[in-house]
Amino acid sequence: MSADSQDHHDDHHHVLPFWKKYIFSTDHKTIGIQYGLAAGAFLLFGFFLMIVMRWSIAYPHEPLPSYLSWIFTDGWKGRWLEDGKVTGETYNMFGAMHGTIMVFLGVVPLGFAAFGNYVTPLQIGAPDMAFPKLNMASFWVYLVGGLVMCMSFFMESGAAKSGWTNYSPLAGYADRQIVNQLLAGQTQWLIGLVLLITSSLLGAVNFITTIIQLRAKGLTWMRLPFFVWAMLVTGFLLLLAFPPLEAAGIMQLMDRLTGSSFFMPTGLYSASDNVALDISGSGSPLLYQHLFWFLGHPEVYVLLLPALACVAEIIPCNTRKPLWGYKPMVWAVIVLGFLSFVVWAHHMYLTGMGPVISTFFQTTTVLISVPSVILLTSMIISLWGGSIRFTMPMIWAAAFLPMFGIGGLTGLPLAFNLADLHLHDTYYVIGHFHYVVAPGILFGLFAGIYHWYPKLTGRFMDNFLGHLHFWPTLVCMNLLFFPMLVQGMAGFHRRWYNGGEGYIEKSTDGVNVFGLTVAEHISLNEVMTGAAIALALFQLPFLINMFISYFWGKKVTSDNPWDATTLEWATPTPPGHGNFTFDIAVYRGPYEYSRPDHDKDYFPQWEEPKHATPDDEPSEKPEKETPEA
Amino acid sequence: MEIPFIVNARKDTGLFNSKVGIWLFLASEVTLFGGLFSGYLFLRLYADYPWPERALPVLPGLINTFILIGSSVTVVFAWAALKMREWAKFQIYMGITLVCAFLFLGLKAVEYNAKLHHQAVRLTGDGSVQDFGYLEGHVHYAKLVDDKLVEVTKEEKKENDKKDDPEHIFAANKIIFKATELSFVLKRPAHEAYVKEILEQAGEDHTIILVDDYRVLDVDELHEGQKSRVELLKGERALVIKGGEALSIEILDDMEDAFLDARAHDKDIRTEFSRASWRWVRDEKGIKDIGNLVITKDYWKERMAEDAAKIAPLMLIDSGIKSAPGSVTFKIDPPLTLVMDPSDIPKITEDPTLGDTIRFRDDTTVKGKLLPSPMLMGIDAIDFRHTAMRAEIEGIDPLDAIKESWILTHTDSHGGNDLKKAWDCHMAWLKIETKRLLDKSDKKGRKKGDELVPTENDKYRINWDQMVAYEKLKYDPEAVVAAIEDKTLYHTSLFDLSGFAGANHTAHHFPHVEIPREKVGFTSTFTPKWNTYYAIYFTITGLHGLHVIGGIVVLGYYMFFGRKMYDSNPEWLANRVEIGGLFWHFVDLVWIFLFPILYLM
Repeated sequence: MSADSQDHHDDHHHVLPFWKKYIFSTDHKTIGIQYGLAAGAFLLFGFFLMIVMRWSIAYPHEPLPSYLSWIFTDGWKGRWLEDGKVTGETYNMFGAMHGTIMVFLGVVPLGFAAFGNYVTPLQIGAPDMAFPKLNMASFWVYLVGGLVMCMSFFMESGAAKSGWTNYSPLAGYADRQIVNQLLAGQTQWLIGLVLLITSSLLGAVNFITTIIQLRAKGLTWMRLPFFVWAMLVTGFLLLLAFPPLEAAGIMQLMDRLTGSSFFMPTGLYSASDNVALDISGSGSPLLYQHLFWFLGHPEVYVLLLPALACVAEIIPCNTRKPLWGYKPMVWAVIVLGFLSFVVWAHHMYLTGMGPVISTFFQTTTVLISVPSVILLTSMIISLWGGSIRFTMPMIWAAAFLPMFGIGGLTGLPLAFNLADLHLHDTYYVIGHFHYVVAPGILFGLFAGIYHWYPKLTGRFMDNFLGHLHFWPTLVCMNLLFFPMLVQGMAGFHRRWYNGGEGYIEKSTDGVNVFGLTVAEHISLNEVMTGAAIALALFQLPFLINMFISYFWGKKVTSDNPWDATTLEWATPTPPGHGNFTFDIAVYRGPYEYSRPDHDKDYFPQWEEPKHATPDDEPSEKPEKETPEA
Repeated sequence: MEIPFIVNARKDTGLFNSKVGIWLFLASEVTLFGGLFSGYLFLRLYADYPWPERALPVLPGLINTFILIGSSVTVVFAWAALKMREWAKFQIYMGITLVCAFLFLGLKAVEYNAKLHHQAVRLTGDGSVQDFGYLEGHVHYAKLVDDKLVEVTKEEKKENDKKDDPEHIFAANKIIFKATELSFVLKRPAHEAYVKEILEQAGEDHTIILVDDYRVLDVDELHEGQKSRVELLKGERALVIKGGEALSIEILDDMEDAFLDARAHDKDIRTEFSRASWRWVRDEKGIKDIGNLVITKDYWKERMAEDAAKIAPLMLIDSGIKSAPGSVTFKIDPPLTLVMDPSDIPKITEDPTLGDTIRFRDDTTVKGKLLPSPMLMGIDAIDFRHTAMRAEIEGIDPLDAIKESWILTHTDSHGGNDLKKAWDCHMAWLKIETKRLLDKSDKKGRKKGDELVPTENDKYRINWDQMVAYEKLKYDPEAVVAAIEDKTLYHTSLFDLSGFAGANHTAHHFPHVEIPREKVGFTSTFTPKWNTYYAIYFTITGLHGLHVIGGIVVLGYYMFFGRKMYDSNPEWLANRVEIGGLFWHFVDLVWIFLFPILYLM
């Protein structure tokens, strides 16, 4: 900050009214928390939808238990439940919205927007984001988009029910009976999506500009914490991959509102309604899939990178040694970003694109596992020889590594189109990406919450409740998702709302994969449903912990309670408007732990070296000095 | 707190914040329009109909191109003026930029407007290929006289609009249906639009009344268990709406609420039973294999049968009395002649014994009699390219297939003869044109097989300007031959202004044609609905137009409200104008790409 801006500092000390401080705030920290709370609420809602679906899969003939159905009004039950049981249509609606909510309204806003907003400017020593008002706008556009999508649950048409991918012509035909198309769930899904994309774009522009322009003095590119690098790459993914989906969204919106045929092929005929559609035809459903997955695949990395970034911050801090292979990791994440743009059609092996295109995408998909493995391996090696402190964040981070590992490795067979012929659209795919997202990414984000909570509130989260949250969650996650891999290899289709019961009578005696009969495979559904309900139960300690620790948690004794090295710990706790109370300058890389030449086992980036050269040559110090353990 | 590098550049990057921001934003815009352009490629490469080539008037597009390029220059001058701190000059250049932007939008509006009023019909037929002939033109106005369509001129319509009590005059592209009975499906409660429309058309001369009482059981009474369900249903408390009530949105709403309420309550009872059964399995039977596996066991089947027997007297499903009817029927007296838009009616069923039915989009069905519902159109263009394409796929000579098209074979109804004669004129012209091209090839010394030939467009399409030319010669083929020889055949040139808004239907007498409803395969105005070309045209140009409007708002704001900032921090304003200018250049660039692909190729 220039001297000029220091003068202005005092002018801004007048107290802001409540709505300006907490609701329409332009402070990146408040916006980050807003994103976090909104995303958390959406995650819980998406989780609830999933439990209702899992109930239907395990007990298709049993009505929803009252602890799941009390939330519905009579009118809603009258329209969407059949004798208290979930119908296929309702299941489809919940499935589509579960995916949409979890990806677009839950995990991306929590990882990229909440953590990114709160931590990134602090870690680069910036007073705020480059465009604070734009930042506020992106949050509100996101919230409106999310609410528009979810509102459709209460409308006559119900919410969108054509899968989270919303493939045409299925999606294009759904809800055609609604006269005013603006009030159809499918249309509102599209409008919500366009708003969400707009929000992401504004956010991405803001993040990248902030990282390029507002780095503190001395914070060169290779001194950036890995977290910031990951956010930068994520920003570029959002910036460049999302607009084609926005184009697809606009085109599908045109199909619905103006009757055009972008994605509607010639000669469509509805068997259930017994009519030929009043459309021109000649549209291309394949075009929609290409545009969708051009976003869809980079989106996976948009989900992943923030969680990976949190873990990469937590591991060095809790092993008290530098991140192993910082530079290769930076390059890997950049390469990962580039490659993620050329792998999208591996989601479309079964569309009949032709073997040449399939082979191309198979090759690039296998290539992208190289940087992924570099990232994960570096973090595992970082543990080697460290004096690990098993703090709450570290436990989550440590669990992230194997869980994400399973998620990643189970993806390999899907990359090969021969293996994919068998596995496509089975529970194997569901198991694979849920291992990546739920025990993988969510564990990383949980780690982040436990890690930065003291900075937000000035208090630690409770350890006992933390363990009560962690261990059952770890067990339940695996009980929930591992059977999916088994079922999937046995050929269970991902969209059976009744859990495949139609197969029982026909093949009870036949022995299927792994020596299990179909009936035995189906009984796994109950294990998974039980695990899902238990998982929900064991999130309560976390919610209670968040709440009570805010008021009664153990207070931090310094601004840097974890003895960490990056800049966010140089701020007061919690940081005020404008973040830093002194002119921040950076003297060294982000992970200077256990340096033999330094008294303490950590050397923060902002601490002036004793021999005051900005470049801080470590070799200047005599080697004899023993560092503090 | 102040954000650094808003006005001055950061030293190591050499940029101020918003410049980084705008370049990033433009990068995302590139991928947005990239998505749309690749959509264009996909649609064009895989089109299964003849892609309309050069279907748009080139001149307005060309003028718009130069307008945008010009404004891109002036916006730079405006920025330069700010940099040199010349406020008046800035305002002048920015003013010119904005005027250009509005001119652009004006021309665009004329172009759009012509398309919204221009109708196209794709015919079905029973020729050697499935017809696919297109007729293009304007739909005429009509009114109903004794349930028959009677054409109304534009002047008559204008006069009618001025009257206090105007007659119902409509564009002659409607389904006309004599309705006696209406049925609404209560599970789909968004009937408002249609109910309003029907009530308006019914006026006061027709009564629309509920046929039967609508009765729904109150579930509390049922639980008391004192009376049988049949007795309860007879009681007054079960009554929601008495038969004989007139149709209104309110009573439909009441019945819908009662229906959903009853449905939910009924289900509560069944749900209770179902839950009890599952408790029985778990607790009394002590079965380990709960869940799916239970349903195949015999004891479970027995239990379900028991439950069903217990539920039956409560629900009386078997006796046919449902607690809440899912649909309600209204009678119309005297029968009402409905005039409805075809797009609202996905399904028409004709049945000579039971009577015809039409179904609206919201599943409302209307019983009665379908009346002749032809389209009345003035035809300004005929297009057989799709017919020719289909014929070639089938291995038939395109010209033979065209001869069998409905357009050229129905010469009896009014106007039909003119179309036939127009086609004859076109064939005469085509013959001479083909010969002219051959002669030209000879002169240029082109080899055999490489001669110049007429395009598909020339061969199989009579464009509106050709139609005007033939009309001037009274559709006489011999006169056309003579006119070509005299070089007096009417031609529009590139700079002919009359073509801006398409064919002028008041100045020319185009053939009037009556197209029977069953011959109409697909019809639309030249909007996104007509085909994927117009869909992508409207989407890309529309999105581009929104960007132009966005640019106008931003640049206009700097011009009219920038003075305050200019006085306090002129460099900051210059930065902002630079950002706005970069965006404006991008908008220009998009047009430069979309102009050739949509107008020229």
